[in-house]
Amino acid sequence: MDWKRFSFIFLIIIILFSVVVLIGQVKSSPIVIITSMLATTIAVATPLTLGALAGVFSERAGIVNIGIEGMMLSSAFFGWLGAIYMFHVFEYSIGISITMGVVFAILAGMAMGLLLAVLSITYKVDQIIGGTVINILAVGLTGFLNRQMFFGRGSVFEGNVPNSPGVLPTIHIPLTEIFSPLCNSADCILVVTSINKVFDQKPVAIAAILLVFVSHYILFNTRWGLRTRAVGEHPKAADTVGINVIKMRYANVIIGGAFAGLAGAYFTIESVPSFEPLLTNGRGFISLAAMIFGNWTPIGAWTAALVFGASQALNINIQIFRDVIPPQLAFLQQSYIVGLIPYILTMVILTGIIGRTTPPAADGIPYEK
Amino acid sequence: MKKFYTLFAVLLVAALLLPACAPAEADCSSEDVFCVGLVTDVGKINDKSFNQSAWEGVQRAEAELGAQVQYIETADAKDYDKNIATFGDAGYDVIVTVGFGMGEATVKAAGLYPNVDFVGVDQFQAADTPGVVGLNFPEDNAGFLVGALAAMMSESHKIGAVCGTDVVPPVWRFGEGYKAGAAYVDGMMGSTTEVFVVYHSDVGFDKTFTDPEWGAQTAQSMMDQGADAIFGCGGITGNGAITAAAQAGAYAIGVDADQYLTLPEAAPRMLSSAMKLITPGVFDLVKLSHDGNFPVGNFFGAAGYAPYHDLDSEVPAEVKAEMEKINAGLLDGSITTNVPPVKPE
Repeated sequence: MDWKRFSFIFLIIIILFSVVVLIGQVKSSPIVIITSMLATTIAVATPLTLGALAGVFSERAGIVNIGIEGMMLSSAFFGWLGAIYMFHVFEYSIGISITMGVVFAILAGMAMGLLLAVLSITYKVDQIIGGTVINILAVGLTGFLNRQMFFGRGSVFEGNVPNSPGVLPTIHIPLTEIFSPLCNSADCILVVTSINKVFDQKPVAIAAILLVFVSHYILFNTRWGLRTRAVGEHPKAADTVGINVIKMRYANVIIGGAFAGLAGAYFTIESVPSFEPLLTNGRGFISLAAMIFGNWTPIGAWTAALVFGASQALNINIQIFRDVIPPQLAFLQQSYIVGLIPYILTMVILTGIIGRTTPPAADGIPYEK
Repeated sequence: MKKFYTLFAVLLVAALLLPACAPAEADCSSEDVFCVGLVTDVGKINDKSFNQSAWEGVQRAEAELGAQVQYIETADAKDYDKNIATFGDAGYDVIVTVGFGMGEATVKAAGLYPNVDFVGVDQFQAADTPGVVGLNFPEDNAGFLVGALAAMMSESHKIGAVCGTDVVPPVWRFGEGYKAGAAYVDGMMGSTTEVFVVYHSDVGFDKTFTDPEWGAQTAQSMMDQGADAIFGCGGITGNGAITAAAQAGAYAIGVDADQYLTLPEAAPRMLSSAMKLITPGVFDLVKLSHDGNFPVGNFFGAAGYAPYHDLDSEVPAEVKAEMEKINAGLLDGSITTNVPPVKPE
């Protein structure tokens, strides 16, 4: 991840934020706008970041993973289902049920990772097809089970979707409590409470950011990481020095599945306490784009995910300030134009105007001794 | 061994074909059997709002008129014609197509199946087509009612609406009605209410109604900026918004059906819902077809607002009285929302 790429990303984010601040300042103070947008950006980027990390681990080990979307979708379903079963059938407390839901989501993601590994490593199925299998399987499986269990005559819960135990709570970091006594004006308190909102995130969102740095450390500073990268760049050489290529690839694809599983948990256990068919809505593919733009590095992928988060924050906030958009920018009043921004950004950042990205050399190639 | 494989293959094929012919149904092409089919818009039959309400109307026809009922969920907008044809070819008597997006396909199908009565929910008929009735609702009135309620109940004087795409006229009318309702209350009480209306405007038309995570984030963003009442108008996207609002302790306002009953996660903070009485509307039209009095053109259902349920004690008596006055005014025409039927270009 080079500096050129980072500065390009931050430039885009700053532009997106300034547009909203310039438009919205007549109605709301800049600090409120910026902090609210930042909070949205971080929250929205969460599943993209985790999805991109899933891709980084798997592809660094040489397995192309386009099944992230399907992994997310199935873990979103099984995490939610697990939480409901723990709560309603086994009657655990809300806290335990939700936590177990997250665990189930991660396990479901790992199971999907295992499936991809079996297909692409053991059976040497074309990896693009392997990923597609996962995406199609996830749509069918979750849609079918959702129908069978919750809806219609003869379903398990007899058509009454049971109340989900809820969502993970926001973790409050007491910045307001610490810093507001130092304030001597109302403006200062507004600034502190606004900034506090950026840090008040939910557990998966916080975990995602920590995992970015943990992954970076693992990949580039540990023996495990070195072996993973060796297996993805030149498996034959790695094999010659005694690294078990098959085992390393299996392990990393399953680890990737666990990340995708946590991303799935974000949807049904952190964001909204309900499952809807197809609720991931292509975010797995956006995380793939983030991974590529981040040049297969955790931190790069995270910053790219933040760009997508920022563009959604722009989409929301421009519409909030629709009434005060100046006439020379009237085209921004049309919601469909604002809605195009994430897609335009995807195209811009993937066209390679800031230099080419290089995938791991053996990415997508099955290993044969 | 080879024989075994052949047998296995035959069984496998049989197993694949089995579900296709499993439901042993009465013959819909027969005169004596009254069959009603429903085709959903992209979105699911159990969406807890729009498609589900229409389906409940059809189910009521099953219970009260002894109709044979069936539904098909549309997975992709390209399948509209195919799904309608499935019912048409099976000789169904009434086909209910749900959603603005299916308008063209419905009119086209009416030409192909002249013996079938088509009910197009949310499909405004600019010109009459024999065999097609558009079931419409004054969404602007429903939006107006909850907009007024939200404006009266909000303490921060900031209220929000998270909607599907405004390309769909009923959605746009909900949003505009919401603004108009808040403005009406402001005019009456001399307050200033800020109204945030955000439409999900993705390039994929269908995606804008099935994205709960987007809805939740948008609602959160509005609450970060001070909004304390959130109206979710747009299928599952809206459900995400009101669930997030309810969890944060803001007022949640549902859409289409009384979502207190359909969205348990948000129920404790559900202030009301902007209701389109889809279920009775669909049932009435099916019954008219059953009795042989099927109309042509447009049929207007009713709009209203749902009871306050758990928050009944939180809503002051003056607000309740005012809401009844506004509702009566909208019904007798003394209050108008001034929202045009479609978004001006």
